Amino acid sequence: MTTVLQVVGLTLTTFGVSFLLIAALGVWRLPDVLSRLHALTKADSAGLALIALGAACLKGRPDSLLVLGLCVVLVALSGVTIGHLIARAHLSEGDLE
Amino acid sequence: MSLAFDILLAFGVVFTAAAALGTHDRVASIAGFVVTGLLVALSLVRLGAPDVALAEAAIGAGLTGALLLRSAWRLKPAESRVSPAIDRIIVALIAVCLSGALAWAVYTAPGAALYPALVSERLAESGVTNPVTAVLLNFRAWDTLLEIAVLFVALILVRIVAPAHPQPVVLGELMLPFARIVVPMCAFLAGHLLWQGASVPGGAFQAGAILAGGLLVLMLGGFAVLTPRLLSWGMMVALLGLAVFAVAALSTEALTGTLLLYPDGAAKIWILMIEAVLTLSIAAMLCLLFCGMPRRPLNDV
Amino acid sequence: MTSELIYICAGSGLVGLAFYRLATCRDMLLRVLSLNVLAVGIAILFLASARNAGMTDAVPQAFILTGIVVLVAVTAALLALAEQIDSQRDE
Repeated sequence: MTTVLQVVGLTLTTFGVSFLLIAALGVWRLPDVLSRLHALTKADSAGLALIALGAACLKGRPDSLLVLGLCVVLVALSGVTIGHLIARAHLSEGDLE
Repeated sequence: MSLAFDILLAFGVVFTAAAALGTHDRVASIAGFVVTGLLVALSLVRLGAPDVALAEAAIGAGLTGALLLRSAWRLKPAESRVSPAIDRIIVALIAVCLSGALAWAVYTAPGAALYPALVSERLAESGVTNPVTAVLLNFRAWDTLLEIAVLFVALILVRIVAPAHPQPVVLGELMLPFARIVVPMCAFLAGHLLWQGASVPGGAFQAGAILAGGLLVLMLGGFAVLTPRLLSWGMMVALLGLAVFAVAALSTEALTGTLLLYPDGAAKIWILMIEAVLTLSIAAMLCLLFCGMPRRPLNDV
Repeated sequence: MTSELIYICAGSGLVGLAFYRLATCRDMLLRVLSLNVLAVGIAILFLASARNAGMTDAVPQAFILTGIVVLVAVTAALLALAEQIDSQRDE
């Protein structure tokens, strides 16, 4: 049982890390603010959720799921809001020019 | 395995710090600083200091980053006069010598650890089981009292010298649902950290910083405007922590004959009371330090 | 002991970098930022030297915790002073 959980946890964490890597690549390579934001916000929340799920599997205790879930919810929430704010600031800057 | 992680982490800390300090773009520099702060928090966890790591992540990276960003659009950048190459080479040499000497001195310092034995010996009578909280609020509570006084003095300084600035622009419609979820969560987390600080990492400073974060969401979102009335209430709360701590120090002097030596068996209650007031007061102080306090003419006080 | 050595190197590296920046930079904001990096480096050095047989001494931890809180107050005060200097220069 533990080994199954560990394998699942490691797989999920690997997927999560690769999501984050792709997000970083997107921020690095994409040309303008809005498309960078697009790469960042989605892959970021998904990657973190996968890593948290994997970590919960590796930990093997259900109560750690609560704390990790809280982390994921808070990061997703602030990611959404900050993405919105950056896009808004970018667009209003464009209006001024 | 963990050694590889340590090496990678230490490299990351130095690299992000170099990136933060090496660029002339201020916002990029501050972003690099915040990332450095978070990596440093992680390395402090690796060094076995989770209390400090929590404070570094919340205050060192979060609040300081916010303070710097706030000032980045208020302060005009200095004219970019590059120092002559010879100066820079000399400074770089001195810096390299300094860090080499520092590393050598710290590494070869004789490690006669005096405190761990003393702390663990007296931990049972301190009223809490987290050694860091025991040191902060019992063994060396005097330091913490003075620290709160320093915070208050800094607050007064900011109150006197900070020039008035216009209110920030309204931040869009997503802020309201964000604040509705995050602000109660901040209050809840602060209470949780305060309570668990007695036995596991946490405590008044971390809780106060998180509460201050929640207050800043309210301020920056435009949900709470810093009116003179609110400002004076905030100053009252800020002063309350120092006042309660000082009164506690004086009453322990009266009760036990020694400053900040709590009466037998009641240490836990005393610490919890002081910490609860300190949390509110630290939150108010950090928030007011950020807001910079719009000055108003003396005649409408 | 090796992991402590790694962090000692990282901490003193931060101190050196911050010192260089502090000496060569004229921008007040970046100076305050370098001061913060310097303090962080010293915190790492202090805690790495406080480690002994897998345990970290609680007294230096409390010192550094105090230092972090005082540093944010100092940062706010320095930035307020810098803003005041800036606005005086305008007039």
